Amino acid sequence: MQNDTDSRLRRVRGPVQPKRHNARTIAALTSNPGCARRGVCDAAGVDKDALAGRVGFPARFGQSQFAITRGNAFEAQVKANGCAELLTLLREVLHLDITEVGYTDLEEAGGNDSQDVRHAYSRRTLLAAAAGRDDAGTLFDHPLLRMDVAGNGVYLEPDLIAFQYAGIFHVIEIKSFAVIDGQADGGKVASAAIQSAVYVQALRTLLGSDDAVSSDIVLVCPKDFSNKPCATKVDVRKQLIVLQHQLNRLARIDALLDALPAGVTLDLAKDDAGQPVLSRAELVQALGCIEARYSPECLASCELAFFCRDEASGQTAALGKSVREELGGVETVATALGLAAGSLLPSDEQAEITALLRAASRIYRESVAAA
Amino acid sequence: MSGVTEAAEALERRIDELRTAVRQAVSAGDTERARALRAELRRVENEWDLALDDIAEQQAEKAAAPARPSAPLLPLREQVHQALVLLGAPAAPKLIIAVHEAFQVGEMVPARLTSLRRDEERSFRSAPNSRPYYLCPALTHDLLAPARGLLAVSTWPMERRIVGPLSPRVDFLTSAIRLAEHVGRLPNPSPAALRLLWRFAANIPDAAAGVDGMTPSSVATAARAELDIHTDADRSHREAAAKRAKRQLDDVQQLFGNVLRDVGAAAQ
Repeated sequence: MQNDTDSRLRRVRGPVQPKRHNARTIAALTSNPGCARRGVCDAAGVDKDALAGRVGFPARFGQSQFAITRGNAFEAQVKANGCAELLTLLREVLHLDITEVGYTDLEEAGGNDSQDVRHAYSRRTLLAAAAGRDDAGTLFDHPLLRMDVAGNGVYLEPDLIAFQYAGIFHVIEIKSFAVIDGQADGGKVASAAIQSAVYVQALRTLLGSDDAVSSDIVLVCPKDFSNKPCATKVDVRKQLIVLQHQLNRLARIDALLDALPAGVTLDLAKDDAGQPVLSRAELVQALGCIEARYSPECLASCELAFFCRDEASGQTAALGKSVREELGGVETVATALGLAAGSLLPSDEQAEITALLRAASRIYRESVAAA
Repeated sequence: MSGVTEAAEALERRIDELRTAVRQAVSAGDTERARALRAELRRVENEWDLALDDIAEQQAEKAAAPARPSAPLLPLREQVHQALVLLGAPAAPKLIIAVHEAFQVGEMVPARLTSLRRDEERSFRSAPNSRPYYLCPALTHDLLAPARGLLAVSTWPMERRIVGPLSPRVDFLTSAIRLAEHVGRLPNPSPAALRLLWRFAANIPDAAAGVDGMTPSSVATAARAELDIHTDADRSHREAAAKRAKRQLDDVQQLFGNVLRDVGAAAQ
């Protein structure tokens, strides 16, 4: 059965290497769980960025170079000199014992930075630490974790530190957005929380025990307008549930594949002459077969968002989740306008929403006239 | 007046004469004579340029002679060595640069530090032990591999060049003590030196309440107090690893580390 699914996914992807996941893409999976298009593309490992370019909607997507540089500089500052600043924070905020200063760098295993070697080394070191052997260490910098996504092993390259205290690991996430007067940007905290949840999940898998890793993560951010770091505990239990749900769903990709017409493929390969195997029209048609659920949030997390937005233009769903929920049963913007203006007659199930739309329309006209 | 300057002045007079002659030839419509005079003019102008270079050279020699003893620019490796000796423990390039800038004149370029380690290894391999010291990486205690981004000095005992799990903190505290002692010895420590010391003091419990109230002796005392807690455990790790290193590694590896090449060795 598994082989069958694999071969079907391979057919969707075509004869190219599957695109690898990272914590960001796994976190993005949870932002729109209802989207079959994203589910299929991610499970099959389709290069969505290249696909978006081929169908004429190249995504202006990804982190800005300035943000990456700033993030790296802040991380290096916090970790400098044997994590001196981080230790001060942990001692103040979490009352870490003064004897707990062990630091193990797992970014490189003996000058070898291949992922297999690094993962093996991280695994061995972390398991030894969990088993409580002496000189187990406290901080583990850049462990390379592994996670199963849709049947494929994915290496996670986190900039996190796993930190063991009183036998329990905590994930430390260092982010460069500022916490001003105790408040941080809600969206950024949420995305940091979901990314950390990915690491918590991966670390639990590695240690083979859910109790070994705390569901509270430690978020380290710059304080106010300075470069001074501050630490906050964030509970990621909710994000973990969402993540597990989405990962299970990816594993049940069969149901989604069953709904597709036979022979749908998003093959991005080129033939010997360097010409694409599939034309743009064929790719657009294939994408059209896989149902998408566009919402404006997609623009922040999915490479195909611009294509889906264009496809969904005129649909009420494209106006956002709240509009879609309010206007259940009214598919397009044109219908909604027609119902409001009275040029369309509502069906029985549209009666209630039509009354609301007409009231809204009347209030709008009156207020515009008054102004 | 030197002969070089006289020659240049004679050339200037000749250039003036030639220019006048060229103008007269052109106004008279004698193109052939004008062309010949112009060629001559260009030749003399080139000579004049060369004469100027000679003068510049003479001036430079004059200026350099008294200045030489006052600006002895050390090679990069010497500067790094000095910073490491001051810190007394393996350190990251960033810290080495900070120390250099706090206590020495001149700029240290981070990019050149990166290639330094490779150059040192190449030099050692081609002519072992021909220099009084080499700059080498610190070694990790478990794999005896080069530790990422930590430089050490080859003349240090092996156990000081090894980093165990507690060593980053121990080295931080050791460096803090040595820095504090050094700053304490200076009659007028520079603001850069005090700023560097504060960066250490801020992350040591009870070292100083603020930048203004910080004294080098209180920083050293606080660092010693924390160091006492870690030092025994750290030393036992380091000594065990050092023994292993001396037994297992050849001369080059003892300095530059053992690099893992195959998967099997790491997975054991």
